Amino acid sequence: MELFALEHRKLWRAAGTRLCVLLCFAYFVLYGGLLGNQWFVYGSEGGDPTRTYNHNFDGYAAIHSYRELADSYGGYWTDDTLPRMVRDYRDRGYPGFQSMADWTLALTYIHQLYPELEDPEHRFISTMYYVDPGDLTGFYERRQAYLERTLETRRQNGELTEDDIAMLLDMDSRAEKPWRYGWVSGWDSEVRSMAGLGARLAPWLAAALAFTFSGERQLGAAPLLRAARYGRRRLARAKVLSGLAFAAELYALIAGSSLALQLIWLGPEGWDLPIQFDSLLAVAPWNMLQAEGYALAFSFLNAIGYAALVLLLSSLTGSGVVSLTLSLAAVYAPGLLEDYLPRWARTALQLLPPASGGSDIFGCNVFHILGRGVWSPYVLIAVPALIGLSCLPLAVLGWSRRR
Amino acid sequence: MELSINCLTKLFGRKLAVDCVSAKLGPGLYGLLGANGAGKTTLIRMLCAILEPTCGEAEFNGREIAAMGEAYRDALGYLPQSFGCYPSYTAAGFLAYMAALKGIPRDRAARRVSELLDALDLGAVADKKLRTFSGGMKQRVGVAQALLNDPRVLILDEPTAGLDPGERVRLRNLLSEYARDRIVILSTHIVSDVEAIADRVFVMDAGKFVMSGTVPELADQVRGKVWEMTVPREQARQWQERVTVAGCRREGGQAALRIVADGRPSDRAAPCEPTLDDAYLYYFGGAEARR
Repeated sequence: MELFALEHRKLWRAAGTRLCVLLCFAYFVLYGGLLGNQWFVYGSEGGDPTRTYNHNFDGYAAIHSYRELADSYGGYWTDDTLPRMVRDYRDRGYPGFQSMADWTLALTYIHQLYPELEDPEHRFISTMYYVDPGDLTGFYERRQAYLERTLETRRQNGELTEDDIAMLLDMDSRAEKPWRYGWVSGWDSEVRSMAGLGARLAPWLAAALAFTFSGERQLGAAPLLRAARYGRRRLARAKVLSGLAFAAELYALIAGSSLALQLIWLGPEGWDLPIQFDSLLAVAPWNMLQAEGYALAFSFLNAIGYAALVLLLSSLTGSGVVSLTLSLAAVYAPGLLEDYLPRWARTALQLLPPASGGSDIFGCNVFHILGRGVWSPYVLIAVPALIGLSCLPLAVLGWSRRR
Repeated sequence: MELSINCLTKLFGRKLAVDCVSAKLGPGLYGLLGANGAGKTTLIRMLCAILEPTCGEAEFNGREIAAMGEAYRDALGYLPQSFGCYPSYTAAGFLAYMAALKGIPRDRAARRVSELLDALDLGAVADKKLRTFSGGMKQRVGVAQALLNDPRVLILDEPTAGLDPGERVRLRNLLSEYARDRIVILSTHIVSDVEAIADRVFVMDAGKFVMSGTVPELADQVRGKVWEMTVPREQARQWQERVTVAGCRREGGQAALRIVADGRPSDRAAPCEPTLDDAYLYYFGGAEARR
């Protein structure tokens, strides 16, 4: 325990670690979170569309108006909701879509579920301008047909089996209908943001942890440490635990701040809305709060799994730069190689921490393990964490063995 | 207490760094002399169980050191040749960290750290960051950490590097006192470091012990081969090119040369009392010539 405390303190007092945490906080919380909410994501539309961030610095007030609009359609999503949105959009004089989740949703649904209503001669005009609201009927039947059609196409492509489709449709049938409806945007963006947090934190974790073991060798301290009574396994265990604790602390700092910003700016409303409002192809019978729970667990386990991988690479290399390069390659190489690999290899790389499939809860992907189809979010949350877990004893061994 | 080295050998690829070295060491101070690249550091790393021998073994009190694991490292104090210390740590903080790594209880560690800082004349800078330390001060911190656990086997690789003459003498005295009932191995290429205090000296070349014995025994090996003579100063360089010159001292317009050679180099040369330095130079001067 004393060694863990000493290693943990050593990690935090390193200038590189402090700089890394500071920049990470500034990037995710101050820039992406605070400025994003107040300015370039939720700020009302500015007057100059040529500007990169064409928004006003009024996110907090603007979000209130978006929420009021969503509340006006509140309650349940019925067959009448979509036509009402179209009529309302026109009554309000065709305002911009920016951040108005409801009208963005309406436009997406018309495009996906009523493609025959799109006029090829008006390709550059939003369907919302000319579609007859009276034609937007049978929403749930259309959505069911759309889901089945998509699943069938994927079966023909060899991605799904008959059993997979039956499993996914069974999940979908357990989602309560009609769907509750209200202010979707807050939780939706929060869940998506959380689901990808593990992967986005990866480079920062690499920068802070890649030097844990290899830095000692680079500095020339390794012989000194390894000749000490507890300088092998116990020190390696303390270093591994302090690295994981650091990953958990950095995660808690960023995720906690992000969650707090969401509650302040976007509000807690909408936690009980179904995740199908994020994607029409979502089959899980979950609400936004359940999805947030999954996203938090997914990104946390991914961050920990990736931290373990970085620690292993650090224990096997003699140079911090080499372990940092290898750690970053684990983040970026799968994406770069994707187009050149067969499907099974792409799938395998997907499971290497930091896996980036946290948003699969909004989809209908299946992994085939021992001939059995398993809904992808279960695999994506478990396997990278298990890979990380298996890295830990190897990292201890990498440091403690004689060379 | 015995540290026994049994045909310890290390190969790096095809390069033989240590070639079947054997010795038995009881309590006392042992000097390990050799030129750079002679294999001293490799041998020391194997004796510290950091490096795995290609073959052979080292035993402490009859037990193989690698198999002893923590028990051996508990008895070991080690100062590597060039050691990295954390620049943002204070001297006291670094020693406290090393004490925890050596498994010394916190209250005992605090006392020991304070004692050693005083003994190595670092008490006044105990709370200064290591980044502000000179090379000699860092080296003394390194010696202090090696002594923290009061080791029964103390191995120091070039401990006097960077120390000023006063510090070197102080360190020698400290080690001499320490070696009374412990095994101390002092590796260096500076002959005078071991000449004054070593009970036994091992001279290493090309991975082997090429000479070993007490300081007088080794010096005796070159008895009758060490000469002193005075030559005009302008001839000193010519003599240095022709024979192994152990010393050259100016005396007015003359140069007093100390020469190590098998035969009398000149009619003017007179034999003199040999030292370990002469023996070392005799061997390595000859080895150099043989190469």
